[in-house]
Parts: sequence; structure tokens; C-alpha cells
Amino acid sequence: MPLLNFDNVDLGHGANIVLPGLTLSFQIGERVALLGQSGAGKSTLLAEIRRRLGNTAAWCPQGHGLVPLLSVYHNVYMGQLERRAALANLFNLIRPRRDAWQAIETLTQELGLEGLLRRPVEQLSGGQRQRVAIARAFYQQREIFLGDEPLASVDPHQALRLLERIQARHATSIVALHQHRLALSHFDRVIGLRDGRVVLDAPARELTLAGLDALYPDAAKTKVEAKDETRDEDRAAPAT
Amino acid sequence: MNAPPGLLRGKSPGLTLARRSLALILLCLLLLPFADLRVIAVDPWGELWRMLQGFVWPDFFALENPFYAIALTVSVALWGTFIGALLGFPLALLFHHSRLIRGFCAFVRAIHELFWALLFIQVFGLSAVTALAALAIPYAGIFAKVYAEILELTPRAPTDALPSGVDRLSRFLYAELPLVWDRLASYTRYRFECAMRASVLLGFVGLPTLGFYLESAFREGRFGEAGALLWVFYALIATLQWWGHRRLLPILLIGAVFCLGPWPDVDGDLLWRFVSQDLWPAPLLHGDLAGMGSWLAGLPELLPAIGNTLLLALMGTAGSLVLALLLWPLASRHFGRPWQRVGGRLMLVVLRSTPELMLAFIFLLMLGPSMLPAWLALALHNGAVIAFLVARHADGLKTGMTDLPASGRYAYELLPRLYPNLLALICYRAEVIMRETALLGMLGVATLGFYIDSSFQYLMFDHAFFLLLVTAMLNIGIDVISRRFRPREVPLDDPCSR
Repeated sequence: MPLLNFDNVDLGHGANIVLPGLTLSFQIGERVALLGQSGAGKSTLLAEIRRRLGNTAAWCPQGHGLVPLLSVYHNVYMGQLERRAALANLFNLIRPRRDAWQAIETLTQELGLEGLLRRPVEQLSGGQRQRVAIARAFYQQREIFLGDEPLASVDPHQALRLLERIQARHATSIVALHQHRLALSHFDRVIGLRDGRVVLDAPARELTLAGLDALYPDAAKTKVEAKDETRDEDRAAPAT
Repeated sequence: MNAPPGLLRGKSPGLTLARRSLALILLCLLLLPFADLRVIAVDPWGELWRMLQGFVWPDFFALENPFYAIALTVSVALWGTFIGALLGFPLALLFHHSRLIRGFCAFVRAIHELFWALLFIQVFGLSAVTALAALAIPYAGIFAKVYAEILELTPRAPTDALPSGVDRLSRFLYAELPLVWDRLASYTRYRFECAMRASVLLGFVGLPTLGFYLESAFREGRFGEAGALLWVFYALIATLQWWGHRRLLPILLIGAVFCLGPWPDVDGDLLWRFVSQDLWPAPLLHGDLAGMGSWLAGLPELLPAIGNTLLLALMGTAGSLVLALLLWPLASRHFGRPWQRVGGRLMLVVLRSTPELMLAFIFLLMLGPSMLPAWLALALHNGAVIAFLVARHADGLKTGMTDLPASGRYAYELLPRLYPNLLALICYRAEVIMRETALLGMLGVATLGFYIDSSFQYLMFDHAFFLLLVTAMLNIGIDVISRRFRPREVPLDDPCSR
């Protein structure tokens, strides 16, 4: 069943077109990994997918989009901000709602944030913030998960665990990431972008790690590989 | 072989700024002969010596009951700021949407707190309402502008991360306000410090704050008592971070209510008559436009007053620039030994904390009534404010070459990096200096403020109100000019610098 279709459309910000003449379609129930260098157009594509899907998709933005001064609880609560009246939201700032508190406590336990509910996000480590951002996306309780590098600031072991959680909760997921091994091992389909063009679109099982290098200009090749190697070192079962 | 470029020739931004500043100083020097800078007092040094004695050996036992004056000063500052923030915040939300609101805010903040006080005294007498309104009204305009600027810089990421369909209030409370809360709070805190000074000044028009006792002590030559009161005030400012702690604020606010007073009996008819008739020229109210000519002729001579006001503002600005350039190294970690730095910093804090009218008043007693005391006061106070901020900025910089002599460090390492910011601060400050020049008229310098003060004294409210409008227009004009003059490329991220 098709989820959405791009048929030769130009995507970008105003007059600045990042992805010209894009033709691409997504299916319901598909797990898609978006690969490519920064600046290749992943964020632009995800933003447009998010715009089209509206509130049927949970969203986990690049750089987390958290509010440092607010507690973990309030940051996660923001995932359902549109479902309650303004006054209820206002009161929740002063006194947390019992139902929301319990739901969020369960969620944060699942993500390894137990005991941090009252802590302001500004006091958390990078990895903890990342997990708060994912908790917020979970709290939106949608069928579809859209993530712009939701695993960027966690170690490889945690990235694997978090990705499994994400996919257990969402039948459909479209995720931009840098971890090539994860892209091959945990996704159905890999889309590779380079300079605003789709240069790769294939089932993950047909791809190899070496094949993914085509996404990166030669100058950066060795560096990216080295980085990827260190990230993936303690994970078994490479797709090659 | 090419000849090196001539004096101040070149297109680098540093040279452009240097040319601009020199032009400002040159203009000031050219106009200086028109200013009345006579020393009229018989024995200025003897007077200064007696004042210094009073300051060094303060006579705390001469203070009869300072606690009421202290409590009133703090209470007025606290509630004036609080009400100002309450009024200013909603205005800030509309600030960028409505030209009318921007104009209104520019107008209310263009008139100095003391002039508002003079206006309200006519209706509410020497009461708490006068004091609070005098602070809260101009502060509402200032808060509206600065809050709006801060809110404009709210990071967008958390808002973008929200699901769609979130209502405006929830979006504001969750994804916008918490991100700028610290900056709003720190600006409000800085404004409270300004309010403390303004609250002291209200004593000069007769409200029984610390300034009232200060003025009478100085005027009657009881310098020991005056010194003691000044020390009390400095101690209040220096300990602000402890007694004005965030957690103590609710208690302070509630306690302050009981210290405020007296509350006036407002006569509604009188108030209405004042607003609808007394403030306006009589011919205008009767629809007699021909009569306006003679009304205008009856005004005090405006052009010399405006000329004096502008000249004093220019002298004050140029003086602050020169003093700031000279003073900032005193408080910077790049110069001098630690003990010298402590001394320098202390001096700047004292100059900065003393209300400029107070400084002018002290110089006036010393030097007699001319523009000189007003100029000294403006330049010293504002120069110290800017020097302090520049020193703080300098302390955040690392010098590249460590073993340069002090002059090299000043001229080659630090000043080129600090100067755009310093000049931008001066331009922001020009508006403040302009407000203060008008105010110094109350001490007898023939600026617009002098005529406003005397019009109020002779109960010619229509004249006073007209002159207030002229003053406000001048201030708004100066604000526009200084914004043009100010270096554009400097991000002034510290709102407390205004």
C-alpha cells in the first residue's frame, strides 16, 4: 500500500532548490534508511515527508529540538501538546498530570532514563538528550516514525538497542542515519542521496558496505570509513 | 615603491570607526565655546575636600531613622519594576506587529522617570501612586522594546519539533518562553538596579526616599550625613545579589506593599480637569486657532533650550567615549596588578552606581551652576558604565602575543577587537544621555528640563506638557540618529548593555 509519492517535484527552501526533479515513493510498513553526506538533502526530504504526513507521523528532529530549561517530563509531554487544551497544558507546567506522568515514566524507563523525569534537560549528557528526543517521538504514539539522525549522539551499542525499540513501536519508519551497518542490517530499503540526487534506491539485502561508499565523494571516503569502523566495532553480523 | 597611506587613510573597518569617532569628538570641541563652562563657586577645592571628608568619615549616627527611607526606596524600585514588567510584557508580544505600539513605547520611554513624577505629583501628590507610576510607565516602554528584541531571538528548533496543531499559548509556554527566560530575567534584574537609582532620585522632587535625605544633607552642608547615606546606598547595590535573590523576591514583594505609602485620596473631578483641560493650551480647547500664536509666544524661548540640550548631549556622549577609552583598562585582567584592578573596579562600580543627577548635584555644589557639573556627571557616569562592560568583554578575550608591553596590548591586541562594541554601546547610551540632559535642567542648567521644572512650579501645566512633548520628540530623533551612526556588524547579545 503506498504511503506517499513524489512525482518529479522540486524540493527546497523557497527559491533555493535542494532536491530537483525528485521522483520517489514510500510504502506503508516499509523500513527505509536515508544515507548521504550532510548537505546531500536528507533533512529537506524528511521535512517535506513530515509536512505531507502531518500528525500521522511521529517526528524526531536533528539536534533534538528540546527545551533546556524544562524537565525531561515536560519535554516528553510536548509530544502530545496539541491534544490538550491550552489551560490544561498551562496547569501541567505547574503540576504534572497524573496520567501523563505515568505514561511518560514507563516510556523513559524503557529508554534507560529512569529517575531523571524531574531533571532539566540542560543537565543531561548528549546521549541522554538523544533518548529524551526519542521518548518524545514515542509519546506522540503514531504508526509512522520519521527521524533525522535520531542515533547521532549515542554509542553503537545503544544505537542498536534504540533502533530496535523504534522499529518495535512503529510499523513504518523513515530514518536518516550515518551508521551503514545498521542501515543494512535493520532496514528493508536504503535510499542514498548525493548532491540533491537519488543515487541509490535498493532493498537492503542486495547491498554491501562497499557499495555504499559510492555515496561519498572520494576525498572524504577514507575518513568516513574510518569513522564508520569505530562506530560499528562492537557489533556483530555485518551484512557483507 | 609605494608611499605609505596618509593619516587615517584607508578603508578598513577600524579606520572607518576611528574617523567617525574623531569626527564626533571634533564636532564636540568645535561647539564647546558655545557652552557655559564657567566655575562660579568661590572655593571649589575646599568644597570638594569637605565632601570627601564626609565620604571617608561618614557619620552614621547623624541618620535619624534611615530604615524607613531604605525600605521605601527598595519598595518603590521593586514594585515599579514589577508593574513595568507586567505592563511591558504584553506590549512586547505585540511590539513587532503594531506601529502604534512601537510609537507609544518610544514616547513613554523618551520621558525621564523624574518628569513623569513631576506630572503625577500634580494629581496624586507626594504619594506612592506618583512614585510607582513614575517608574512603571517609562519602564513598560523599555521592557516592551527589550523583551521584544529578546523574544525575536528565540531559537526556532523546539517550535519546529512540535506536532502541528498546537495552540498559540501552549506553543509559547513550552517551546518559546523557557528558551529566553534567563535573558528576560537577567534584563529585568538589571532594570531593577536602574530602578533603585531612579527611586533614590525621586527624593529630589520630594518623595521621602533616600534621595530626599541625601539632597537636604548635601544642600545644608551636612557632608558626614550625606556620606553615610551614600554608603548605605552603595551597600544596598553591592549586596543586591543576596537580598534580591530569586527565592526571596515573593517575600520582598509582599513585604514591600506594607512599606509603600502614603496612598492618596484621588479626586476624580480634579483628575479629569487636569487631563482634559490643564494640560492643553487654553486657545486650543476653545477652538481659537488664532489665539495659539500668542500662546506660543508666551512659551519660554525654545531654541536656546533645545540648543543647550543637544549640546550637552553631544558633550556627554563624546566625554563618555573618551573616558570609557581611558577607564576600561583599570578593571581588566589584562592590565595592572590584582590589587590595582580591585581598586579600579571599585571606582567604576561607585561611579556607575551613583545616580547621575546625584553626581551632577555634587559637582554643582562644588563648581556652581553652569554646564560644567552636568557635563562631568554625564561623562563620568556613562563612561564608567561603558568602561565596565568593555572590561568584562576584554576579560573574555585571549591575547595572541603574551609579552607585549601594556601600550602594545592596549592598542594592537585588545582595542581593535573591542572598539566596534564600545562604539555601539556609546550609540545605545546616547539615547540615555539625552534623557538625562533634559533632567539635569532641574539643577538649573538651562536645558529643556529647566523650563519643564519651572513651568510645573508656576503651575503652567500646558507649557510643561508641551515642553515634555518636545523633549520626547528630540529623544526619539536622537535615537534614530544614533542607530544610523552605530556600527552595524556588532552583535550586541547582552541586553543589559542598554
